[in-house]
Parts: sequence; structure tokens; C-alpha cells
Amino acid sequence: MKTSVKKLVTAVSASVALMGAGHAAAEIKIGIAGPVTGPVAQYGDMQFSGARMAIERINADGGVNGEMLEAVEVDDVCDPKQAVTVANRLVNDGVRFVVGHLCSSSTQPASDIYEDEGILMVTPASTSPDITERGYELVFRTIGLDSMQGPVAGNHISSLNPERVAIVHDKQQYGEGIATAVRDTLKDAGVEVALFEGITAGDKDFSSLVTKLKQADVDYVYYGGYHPELGLILRQARQADLDAIFMGPEGVGNKDINTIAGDAAEGLLVTLPPAFDEKAENQDLVKAFQDKGEDPSGPFVLTSYTAVQLIAEGIEQAGSTEPFDVAAALRSASFNTPIGTVEYDEKGDMKSFEFVVYEWHSDGSKTPVN
Amino acid sequence: MQDLLYFFQQLINGLTIGSTYALIAIGYTMVYGIIGMINFAHGEIYMIGAYTALIAITGLAALGIAWLPVILIVALVCAMIVSSSMGWAVERVAYRPVRGRHRLIPLISAIGMSIFLQNYVHLAQGSRNIGFPALIEGGFRFGSADSFQTSISYMQITIFITTLVCMTLLSLFISRSRIGRACRAVSQDLGMANLLGIDTNRIISATFIIGAALAAVAGLFLGMYYGSIDPLFGFIAGLKAFTAAVLGGIGSIPGAMLGGLILGVAESMTSGYLSGEYKDVVSFGLLILILLFKPTGLLGKPEVEKI
Amino acid sequence: MAAHNLKHALFCAIVTLVIAYPILGFNLVASGTDIILEGAKTRTVILVLLAAVAVFLFQLFRDNVMALLGKAPALNPLANRQPMEQGKRLKLESIVLTLIIVGALFWPFFVSRGAVDLATLVLIYIMLALGLNVVVGLAGLLDLGYVAFYAVGAYTFALLSQYYGFSFWLALPLGALLAALFGLVLGFPVLRLRGDYLAIVTLGFGEIIRILLNNMTSLTGGPNGIGGIPDPTLFGMEFGRRVKEEGNTSFHETLGIAYSSEHKVIFLYLIALVLAVITALVIRRLMRMPVGRAWEALREDEIAARSLGLSRTAVKLSAFTIGAFFAGFAGTVFASKQGFISPESFVFLESAIILAIVVLGGMGSQIGVILAAIAVTTLPELAREFSEYRMLIFGAAMVLMMVWRPQGLLPMRRTHIELKAQE
Repeated sequence: MKTSVKKLVTAVSASVALMGAGHAAAEIKIGIAGPVTGPVAQYGDMQFSGARMAIERINADGGVNGEMLEAVEVDDVCDPKQAVTVANRLVNDGVRFVVGHLCSSSTQPASDIYEDEGILMVTPASTSPDITERGYELVFRTIGLDSMQGPVAGNHISSLNPERVAIVHDKQQYGEGIATAVRDTLKDAGVEVALFEGITAGDKDFSSLVTKLKQADVDYVYYGGYHPELGLILRQARQADLDAIFMGPEGVGNKDINTIAGDAAEGLLVTLPPAFDEKAENQDLVKAFQDKGEDPSGPFVLTSYTAVQLIAEGIEQAGSTEPFDVAAALRSASFNTPIGTVEYDEKGDMKSFEFVVYEWHSDGSKTPVN
Repeated sequence: MQDLLYFFQQLINGLTIGSTYALIAIGYTMVYGIIGMINFAHGEIYMIGAYTALIAITGLAALGIAWLPVILIVALVCAMIVSSSMGWAVERVAYRPVRGRHRLIPLISAIGMSIFLQNYVHLAQGSRNIGFPALIEGGFRFGSADSFQTSISYMQITIFITTLVCMTLLSLFISRSRIGRACRAVSQDLGMANLLGIDTNRIISATFIIGAALAAVAGLFLGMYYGSIDPLFGFIAGLKAFTAAVLGGIGSIPGAMLGGLILGVAESMTSGYLSGEYKDVVSFGLLILILLFKPTGLLGKPEVEKI
Repeated sequence: MAAHNLKHALFCAIVTLVIAYPILGFNLVASGTDIILEGAKTRTVILVLLAAVAVFLFQLFRDNVMALLGKAPALNPLANRQPMEQGKRLKLESIVLTLIIVGALFWPFFVSRGAVDLATLVLIYIMLALGLNVVVGLAGLLDLGYVAFYAVGAYTFALLSQYYGFSFWLALPLGALLAALFGLVLGFPVLRLRGDYLAIVTLGFGEIIRILLNNMTSLTGGPNGIGGIPDPTLFGMEFGRRVKEEGNTSFHETLGIAYSSEHKVIFLYLIALVLAVITALVIRRLMRMPVGRAWEALREDEIAARSLGLSRTAVKLSAFTIGAFFAGFAGTVFASKQGFISPESFVFLESAIILAIVVLGGMGSQIGVILAAIAVTTLPELAREFSEYRMLIFGAAMVLMMVWRPQGLLPMRRTHIELKAQE
């Protein structure tokens, strides 16, 4: 008992000290919030590797206005509940800038807290339009919206003249949001959507769903969600001889889908941000990643890098570490970043962002589809 | 015709899942039959079986062994050995010391064990979904090629046959062997069996080992059938299997088989004709209804409340 | 004898190797599109080997070790002391409690925001654990779906505020009452079941409620949960930076002080504190009333209690409903504190944690339960670097407690209970 009281006192005084440090010391804390564990931790790896690289390079160049950046990393498991917990933890740690979160369903509740506490947040991966619909001043993103990505996917499917299309989603903000956007695009194009159904994330048995898809005799299936479930659906569809073509958003585009689906992943269509790592002007940066033994080709690596860079440049331009000033600076200028020129509108969305359709292969590579 | 084929397809899907539920349910039903406790950690033992099987398969692949029967048998044997040892150890560490105490105590100990094992695997192997190689591919198709075809994959057939073989062997073992006879005696009256010179501790250990070995079989086949495993997938599967055991009549081995199949079919029909989102509601609803109205299950013996 | 020991010890050591080595010694990792096997770090392998050796030695010298342990003085110096006189103890207890409450009232003004935030969470768990304590500790009904009532309270507030703009103060009693109603309705059919069947049925109910919350997307937002839940107000004063509800004023502007998010955190903490104290006092009172005695009587010997004329259903149902009521209470506070809820907050593990608090504290004992709630909630925060081992240790602790000290840290004193075999 006595020792635990002592520990409590130490911990409390330590956190008091930390809070003071957040304002005074020549260090700017950048919170990085994303999934380190859990089913979609692969995307977290991309986010952390991009953000860490940006912090390292900025610090190597002398920091921001002479102040060094310091990463505070937290794990939200892509679970809305954990997201709220870690957001509070970042607040308590005196963090004023956050790169995150990754999953839209985590970003949404976390952004409520950040806005309330005056913390600037740049999400490198959340595409749900709702996030920036609430008139928040401090919410930005370095990625496009489902309302841009959905039509790209929908138009692609309708250009292939399908007879019947099924749309499946995982009921999460991201999955259902983009599935709805695709459905609306398809309906406008006059394509019949034979089935629109939700599944439970984390489920493993999709044999009944696959049978349903077979019964509906669809030739395209759009899946809104992440790769662990789509991988299983692909594989169980292959087992049951369902010969439809599957398509998904950037949440399914990573090599882990191959470890689950195996050969069944061949021919999967994916909408992704364009391959920034193949741009000529980024080769220097790509090499830096490769020297560290990291892979810069994931969809969220360079968006996360950009998120940190934008925060740093925003601070420089504003000449202050006050998040509201930085937000104003971000809205007023245009920035030259690895993902292209970034300009923000009032809501904190990028004025333009492109999604490209790729075909996924069973060896984990991808080729653009025209 | 089309509708009938669709129905058959959903039935086959349900029976496949159901037979693996039955394999896991054996562990619950035997343990409950003998010491009257719910072995909450059984779902985790099944999950560990699946992990061990995958480790063995990947290991063999790394050694360059590609002949399917060898892979299957080695994976099965490894999974069964590790799971049974786990089952034995769990009983020794967490259940034997609390046996005979108030009913809630072994149950809480079992929940603790379940949390412990889940996190043990989580820490050792990470929390990601790991792909499980399919190994057995292809299958039969029924129906005309231009409309809906019912297909039975070789995988599904393997699962049926394995379950049937395991169940037959187990029934023979329980009815013919010396240990099996002792098992039945202990489940009827533990104290009396003890007096008659049966080493009850040994028999209880044997039950845990048998249950765990069958769960490992289910782990290997479900891993291959579904396609991926993660440290959390044992819990829900365990709960479902427990439902199957209760449904069939806890303590009864044919009951576990029947309960598993009914549950599997009920689930697959729910997702086939209603929506997959509510299949778990149906299985838990079924569990509650059975417990409320026929706690002895379909094939269980009525239990007299002892004073 | 020695040979037998040796054989057994060898066997145990081999089993240890078999269960630990494959899982710990090999890592399944994704490499490109393949899963490959990697050997674990040498340190892990050595640890596994050491564990096997330790098991071997322990089993080999088991008798000697046990004898030694038996001779060693009890770890708990209080274990053998005489129980204090009834009146004296109660007096001491109330003095200690008053001191704690007074301290808790002033404490948040001197510490950091994070500490107050954590303390609020501790208070929510105290409410939950005290409520579950009535059901499990006092009435002896193992409820594994307790978290369902917590969810009902939280969702009641979230939904009422989202659709009808209800404030915290209005939703608080409603959430608790609705949870109690749920307890009553669910409890009625299930309470005639035997102990472990009851546990399973309540677990099933808990899961069903969570799955329904997860699937009724149009109403509850499904897995995305419900956000933007309002904070409690103080006489119409809001604690946010900007006033959200029309007709309200903001706290910092009314008082003419600078905005600080700490005001809100401290206010929430104080509300939780008051509610936790109310919970503790009400349950304390109930324990001494006839209904409280009836709970314990039924737990100790159902048949005897029934032959004395106690209505089994009424007594069990009252415990179940009261437990659910306080879970609803805690749920409302939780929803308000988080500002966001989703079905993930109400998984079985949460039930298991609350149960573990009750068990750890000593079933039935209020102070024990409060101390356990503090320990279980704060220890993982204090040792963040070990946080990944949190649940592992948690599970192990549950098992060890059941094996060595099933009566908990501070077992209930008034009526001495010894959990014994049920024939």
C-alpha cells in the first residue's frame, strides 16, 4: 500500500512536470496516433514509418524555428473506444499537434476531443467526409474523401458494363461510407445493385455470404472495409466457385491480403492514392526509406510524411506553436509536398486529390488500370 | 430447383461449421459431465491448436516438404500434442486446486485462464490476422452450369469425414476401453468411483487431454477452411461450441454432435435467408431458450437437484 | 518416492517445454505475400528453457518447498490478528471513509488533468464494482453479462441526447431506471437457473445486447458508436470552449475566468465522486436492511433460506435489479466523460474486469472492492511500459486469487463466509 501511494505521487508529479514542459521547453510534441496492434496494424506501420521519417529529417535540418520535433506515439487499435482513450492521453501529455488517426471511425470521436482541447489534427488516412463536415477549425487531412474515391470506383465498375453488382461493407464509418458512395454512383449510372449487405468486422465464416452472392449471380462485388475480411471473402469465394470480380478501397490494398487470400487475390481491383513513391521528385526520399529498410510504397506512408511536414511548415509560417494560428496558416497558403501541391479549403480538406484504380496481383504487386 | 440448390448449399455450409463446433463441444461436454464445471479456457485451447498447426505447416514448408498427407498428419499430431499438454497443464494449474470449492470459484478461475491464454498467444504471435494456407482445394459441383450450382469442396468433405472418424473413435474409446469405462463411472459418481479404486485425478486429466486433442483437430481444419487465424477467434468459437454442448444435452457425446450440427445449420440459414449480422444473436438466443426451457438439452439426462 | 518424484518432475518439465516452445519459440511473420517462420530471440528461448528447469526443480523438491513455505511466516501480517470489536470497527471504518471522501473532494485542485481524468474512471469502476458486488458478492449470483446494463445506461443517455436533446441531469436517473428495468425483465426468467447456467445465460444476454447495438446501425450508429455526447452542465453553464446548447451560458465566461479544459475534468470528477459516494452509502444501507440479509442468506444456503419463507425470486430479483440500476448510473457518467460510446466499450472482457475487481476485493466487502477498483484501474496506467502485459497478468492474477485466496484481499467480515463444496 505504502509503495503504491508513493508510486502514485511520483507518477502524478511526473505528469505535472511533463505538462509544464510541453509549453516551455524547446521541443514541439507531435502525437502520432494509429493502430500499432490489432487487425489493421499494417496500416499503422505505414503511418508510423512515414511520420517518423519526416520528424527525423526535419530535426536533422535544424527543426522548426529552432525547436526540435518529438514524437509521442500512441496505439488506438483502430477502435473508436481506444481512440478516445489515447486522445485524452495525448491531451494529458501536453501534445498540441497530432498526426492521426487512421481509421475514420477512430478519427471521428478523437477529433471531438482535439477540437475541444485546441489540438491540431492532420489525418493521413481517414477518408470519411463526415470528419470535416462539422465546421471544426483544427481538423485537416492529407488524403482525399470517400466522396472522391467512391465515384472513381463506381464509374470504373459501370464502365465495365456489369449486369449485376453486389456491395458488401463492414458497417464501419469508412466501409459503409464508401460502399454507400459507390452504390449511389452505380445507381446514377443505371447499374443494378443486386445486394447491399453489411458483415461484422472480425467474423471469419463468410460461406453463407458467398453462397448468397452466387445466388444473386453478380459479376462484380464491391467491398467497403479492410483487408482481413475481404481476404477471407475472396478465398471462400474461390472455394465455392464464385467467379465475380472483386473491388475494394485503399483499406484492402496491402500485401497482407495475399497472405490470407493467396491466389484468390489475383485480379482484385483497388482504388488507391497514386503511387507517390514512383514520382521522380520523391526518389531522394524513397531512398531514405529504403536505407532504413522500410517500404515507402504503402498508401499511407507519404501521406503521413506530408502530415508532419505540413504541421512543421504551418508552425514556421505562423511563427507560433498556437494550433489556431497554425490552422490559419495552413488554410492560407499552398505547400509543396511529396504528395503534390497541397491547398486547403475552409473545411480542412485538400482542394484536389486523385484516386487511381489498380489491379492487384497474387504476388502483392499492383498495376494501374486505365 | 434453384432455390432448392441454394438451400442445399447453405445446409452444407452449416453442416461443415457445425461439425467443427461439435469437435470443440466434446471438450466442454466431457469436462462438464465429469466435474460439473464449464471449462471457459477451452476455446483458447482450440485457438492454440490452430496456431500450432500453422506453425508446423509453415515449418514443413520451410523444410521443403510438400506432400499433402505428411503435412496434414504432422500438423495434426503437433497441434494435438501441444493442445493436449495445454489442456492437461490448465487443469493441473487452474482447476485441480479449486476443485470441490464453491461453484463460482472454478468458473472465475477458468475465465482468468482464458484471458491469460488469449494474451499469451497475443504477446507471442501478435494480434494480426495470419493467413492459413488452404492446402486442400477444388470440389464437386451439382446443377447445370448456367445457373446456381451447389458446390461441395474437398475441404468440406475432409472436415465431415474427420469429424465422423473422431466421433466414432471417441465413442468406441468411451464404450470399450478401460479408461473409457472409468470415465463413465466417474461421470456418474465421482466419489463412488474413487472408492472403487479408480484414480479419478487421472481420469479427469484424461478428459481434458481428449477434449483438447479434438479441439486441436477442429483448430487445424477451421483454420484451413476459414483462411486466417488471430488470438481472439477462440473465444467466440468456444462460446458457440458450448452452446452446441448445452443444446445437445451437456454430458452427452452424441448430444454434442447433434447440437453442433443444429447450431451450424441454424447459423448458416440465418445468414442465408436473413442477414449474417444476426447469426450470433440466433445462436445465443438459442442457448438462452434451451437453458430456460430444457436445461437438460436434447439428449441429456434429467438431473435431480441434490440436497 | 524419489524415483516417482523424478519421473513426475521430468514429465512436468517436458510439458512446460511442449506448451511454451512452439508458441513462444517460433514467430509467424508475413514476408511479402508469404507467411514464414522465424526463430524467436535467444532471450525468449533461454527463458523458456529456464522455465522448464524451474518447473522441474519445483516438482522434484515439491514436498520440501511446500514444507518450507508452510513454515515461513504468513505473508500477510494481519492474517492472524483478532477481528476487531464490531462497534469499534464500524466507527473506525466511518472515520476512515469520511477522511477519504474529504480528501477526494479537494485533491483534484492540486494535481494534473491526467490524474483527475484517471480518477474519474476509477470512480466509474467503483460504481460498477459496487453494483456487481451486490449481485455476485452478496446475493451469490454469478452475472457475466453485467456490462449489458452499463451499456443500457450509456446508450440511454447517448440516444436521448442525440435524438431529443436530453441533458445529463435528466438522463442520469432515466438511464439508471431503464437499466434497472432491463435487469428486472431479464432477471425474471433467468434467475431460477442454477449458478453456472445463470452465468452462461447472462453472458449470452450481454453478448446479444452488444451485437444488437452493433447491428442496429440506423439507431445506434453500429460499430461507429455515438459521438458528441454533451458534458454535464452546472446550473445551465457549459464547460466547453463554445456553448453548444442554446440558452446555456459558458462556465468560464459567466465567472469571468480564462477557459481551461481542466474545469470540465474536475467538474466531471466531482459528479462521479458524489455519485460513487451515493452508491456506496445506499448499498451499505441496503446491506443492513432485511433485504440485504436475505441476499446473504440465500447465497449461503438457498434451501435453508427458502424453508424460512424467503421468496427466492423476489430476493434474487431485487439484487439483480439494484445491481443493474447502479450499472446504468455508471454508464451515464461514462458516456458523459468519454463524449463518445461504441459497442466496443461493452465487450465481455469489461464484465470480466468488473468481476475481477469484485473477486479481488473480496466478494461482499465494500472497502475491499473500492481498493481493488483503484488498484486494477490505476496500476496499468502507472506502469505503462508494461501495459501490454496488463491483461496477461490480469488473467494470471484471477487464477492465482482463486487458488490461493478465493476470499479476496479484504474479505467481508460481518458474516464470516467460507466458500465450501456444494454437495
